[in-house]
Amino acid sequence: MDHVTERKWDNAVRGYDLMNGYGPEWRWAPWKRQLFSAMEGKVLFVAVGTGQDIQFFPPGCEITAIDISDRMLARARPKAEQYDGRLELRHRDVHDLDYPDATFDQVFTSCTFCSVPDPVNGLRALRRVLEPGGTIGMFEHTGSRFFPFGMMLDLMTPLTRRLGPELNRDTPANVRQAGFVDVRVEPVYLDVVKVIHAVNPD
Amino acid sequence: MERRLYFLCGDVVSNAGVGALVGLAVASCVGETWPVVLAMVLGMLIGEVVALPAAVALSVPFGAMEVMLPVMLTGMTSGMLLGMLAAMRAMSSGSAAALGATTGLVVLATTYGLNAYVRARPHPGATS
Repeated sequence: MDHVTERKWDNAVRGYDLMNGYGPEWRWAPWKRQLFSAMEGKVLFVAVGTGQDIQFFPPGCEITAIDISDRMLARARPKAEQYDGRLELRHRDVHDLDYPDATFDQVFTSCTFCSVPDPVNGLRALRRVLEPGGTIGMFEHTGSRFFPFGMMLDLMTPLTRRLGPELNRDTPANVRQAGFVDVRVEPVYLDVVKVIHAVNPD
Repeated sequence: MERRLYFLCGDVVSNAGVGALVGLAVASCVGETWPVVLAMVLGMLIGEVVALPAAVALSVPFGAMEVMLPVMLTGMTSGMLLGMLAAMRAMSSGSAAALGATTGLVVLATTYGLNAYVRARPHPGATS
């Protein structure tokens, strides 16, 4: 367990729902609902946080939702108990998953790999627990190739990194580097907010 | 393009409001006799100082990146423009605010256009 990252997110829990629970969730709701509507089989949801995304999960699924912060999970628990399906919350570090190989049929993330300290190795860990041919669906924000947005995100990253996410990562490239194939990217807002689909090769 | 009225109004209010605030702040700091380049650089800095906390606050009701990026760009461009104009001629508070707000709306429209362009075209490396 990466205790530095754990503490960072334990500390972030206080303002988390205020900063992310209203405007951003409402604005991104259509895309998240569409992405998560594809959930089926055994699903791993990475970085469930305070459980804001649970409202978008389709009913009747079998979902294991993990997070590195116990305090975040405590906030997520009431929402998880109301979910119409099987939803287990687990305290786990994505770099250090103790699930057997090929445990899950699908993996989903939501604004996760802006914050995972070693994104490529984190994604490799997800590949290991994902069955061959299984899919990963990600709702993520990244850096931008457009001036001046890319520059602004680069300049803000040293500050935001201390509080939570990095704003200038190239997550689609990290997904490819981790060995996923058939990587598809759908822009949601500019080239910054996006949905990424990829497949774990056989 | 965003079609939900709540977010459309939020985007307009955010960018016009921040543009107007930046216009007022820059016009009150920059004098007519200043060198234009210095006034533009100072205007840009003032714009970012005003826009950053405003963007964080406005992201709570209206969305994260969709608010933060255009509002930061509004701060930068309206600060530079108002800095340049304030160094060239005297400006009333009203005209500084109106020009800043107009700049914010132009920035918002440009960002909407860029977003439509990006979403209509295949993303670089969309498949591999």
